[in-house]
Amino acid sequence: MSKEPVFESILEHDGAGFTYFRRHASSLDLRLLAMVFGSLAAFSVVIAAGFAMAGAWLIIPFAGVEIAALGTAACMILRRAGDFERLAFSGDRILIEVRERGLARQFEFHRSWARLVTGETGSVALRSHGRTVEIGRYCCAEGRRALALELRGRLDGRRV
Amino acid sequence: MSAVHAPTHDHGHDDHHAHKPSGIMRWVASTNHKDIGTMYLWFSFAMFLVGGVMALIIRSELFQPGLQIVKPEFFNSMTTYHGLIMVFGAIMPAFVGFANWLIPMQIGAPDMAFPRMNNLSFWLLPPAALLLIAAQFAPGGGAGVGWTLYAPLSTQAGPAMDLTIFAIHILGMSSIMGSINIITTILNMRAPGMGLMKMPLFCWTWLITAYLLVAVMPVLAGAVTMTLTDRHFGTHFFNAAGGGDPVLYQHIFWFFGHPEVYIIAIPAFGVVSQVIPAFSRKPLFGYASMVYATASIAILSFMVWAHHMYTAGMPVEAQLYFMYATVLIAIPTGVKVFNWVATMWKGSLTFETPMLFALGFLFLFTLGGFTGLVLSIVPVDIQLHDTYYVVAHFHYVMVAGALFSAFAGIYFWLPKWTGRMYNETLGKWHFWLSLVFFNVTFFVQHFLGLAGMPRRIPDYSLQFAEFNMISSIGAFGFGLSQLLFLYIVIKCITSGEKAADRQWEGADSLEWTHLPSPAPWHSFETPPVVK
Repeated sequence: MSKEPVFESILEHDGAGFTYFRRHASSLDLRLLAMVFGSLAAFSVVIAAGFAMAGAWLIIPFAGVEIAALGTAACMILRRAGDFERLAFSGDRILIEVRERGLARQFEFHRSWARLVTGETGSVALRSHGRTVEIGRYCCAEGRRALALELRGRLDGRRV
Repeated sequence: MSAVHAPTHDHGHDDHHAHKPSGIMRWVASTNHKDIGTMYLWFSFAMFLVGGVMALIIRSELFQPGLQIVKPEFFNSMTTYHGLIMVFGAIMPAFVGFANWLIPMQIGAPDMAFPRMNNLSFWLLPPAALLLIAAQFAPGGGAGVGWTLYAPLSTQAGPAMDLTIFAIHILGMSSIMGSINIITTILNMRAPGMGLMKMPLFCWTWLITAYLLVAVMPVLAGAVTMTLTDRHFGTHFFNAAGGGDPVLYQHIFWFFGHPEVYIIAIPAFGVVSQVIPAFSRKPLFGYASMVYATASIAILSFMVWAHHMYTAGMPVEAQLYFMYATVLIAIPTGVKVFNWVATMWKGSLTFETPMLFALGFLFLFTLGGFTGLVLSIVPVDIQLHDTYYVVAHFHYVMVAGALFSAFAGIYFWLPKWTGRMYNETLGKWHFWLSLVFFNVTFFVQHFLGLAGMPRRIPDYSLQFAEFNMISSIGAFGFGLSQLLFLYIVIKCITSGEKAADRQWEGADSLEWTHLPSPAPWHSFETPPVVK
């Protein structure tokens, strides 16, 4: 086992420019989730139905509530599983793509107008023309600091 | 085992978390898995003391034949709430505490999947515990119905029964939320490379336990709700006079109750499966077979419930089925015991306190399993049903099984949790005192049961006097030994020697290899890569 080097995993440089890509950490295997949820739901229904046939029907609503709760939790992690953020410098353009809870949004800023905003809690955002986009949410604090440093250099024109 | 001074890990990225919240709100509003795990463990110890005091009241009354100390109604109430508090308030939360502390660290996750829900699942416990304790002060006293809450006793008991039902509902909600959190955390938050079959066995055992909990909790919730509606809303689920069936309650309860035994035992297997390899300095023997054996035990646990009710009346074919199905559980359990022993075989063994408790678990749990096999035989069970043999059997499973394993786990991970080392000499004293007094308390109860002493009675025939006296002395010794445990833990936290990052050289899961001691408040914000 080895520790992942923080910086290398966050900043990707290619010959033409700079791209930052990070996605929500997820080990979700859809088939496994479906298997766990499906088998649990089916099993709960069989148990509740069996007891209902013996006259103890009040188990059914509890089984229903529980399956619903587990299903909701599964949906929530599914929605988050594909979340990512991508930031790319292309000449003077900054392209940002964010997918959060299943909703994808795209932003395009001009490098001359974009400003870096760092919060007291260590958050990192780019702001331009009244629009603010937070990035680095899937990084640790050290990673966000590195990202902020890199972006500051590129916005100031010290790095191209 | 000698302490290994591993190089201090670089955790500069955790610097911003050095200013963690302080004061009471750190605990009330905590969404941190380590804080919540700590609260679970302290809560379970408090409940262990409350349930223990109840046990000592029971054993005080049984010290001599005749009624000396408490009234029979109060005695019955003590047997009821001792069971409920120990099962739902002490042992289950203790292992949820372990799960909270360890699962994220062992799979390389920064926290649980739903941290706010995690907070809620813990904070549901204290009100439920208060309800169980408050039931003692309800008009008519606590419900003397046994922890199984059998109808028609439960449908006729006083207002304490309503408080108890409410408490069970709350505890059930807490368990369900905890289980959903554990399932989603393990499925979704494993570090890159941490495949399911690479997870430490403790995580596997909790994944299977959470599955069991989700499957059986609605059954318990339904059972106590039907008891409630029978009591207050004119239904007749369990009232024979109204066309209901009290035996139906027994089927429902034990359909929950037998898996519940494994809900307690399986995480204990997980803890022991971490401790034994560490002190044998060998990998766990037969990892895959351990996973499959655990899953087999969980599946079989749904098929054997009626072995608790052979005397309630059932066709001989059903008795035969439940007997054979129960005996079948010995196979996967045997696989596990074999694997633990094989792990130690030719290992470089040392016997620090965690290993001693793990070995105590192995020896005594096997004995408890063996008496379980004896009880699974229908003609034998018909003789021994509701005798002290059954009491001895399940205390060997619950105390020597689950509790000893919990002690093993606490001593094993205390250096990681606190950053300090406990006093090894006192730890060993704790083990030997617990082992001796446990057997003094419960081994003689086998003889009482074989001689025909029924359980749940405050008075008994003179022929049982000596063994009861021995058992009561053992119980007080066992209870006092646990105060030594409290002292050891407090002394460790306040003035223990600094622990190494990898205190046990044979421990190889992520919390030992990748994190310093004590584990930082936030860990694995950047997931480790497991190869």
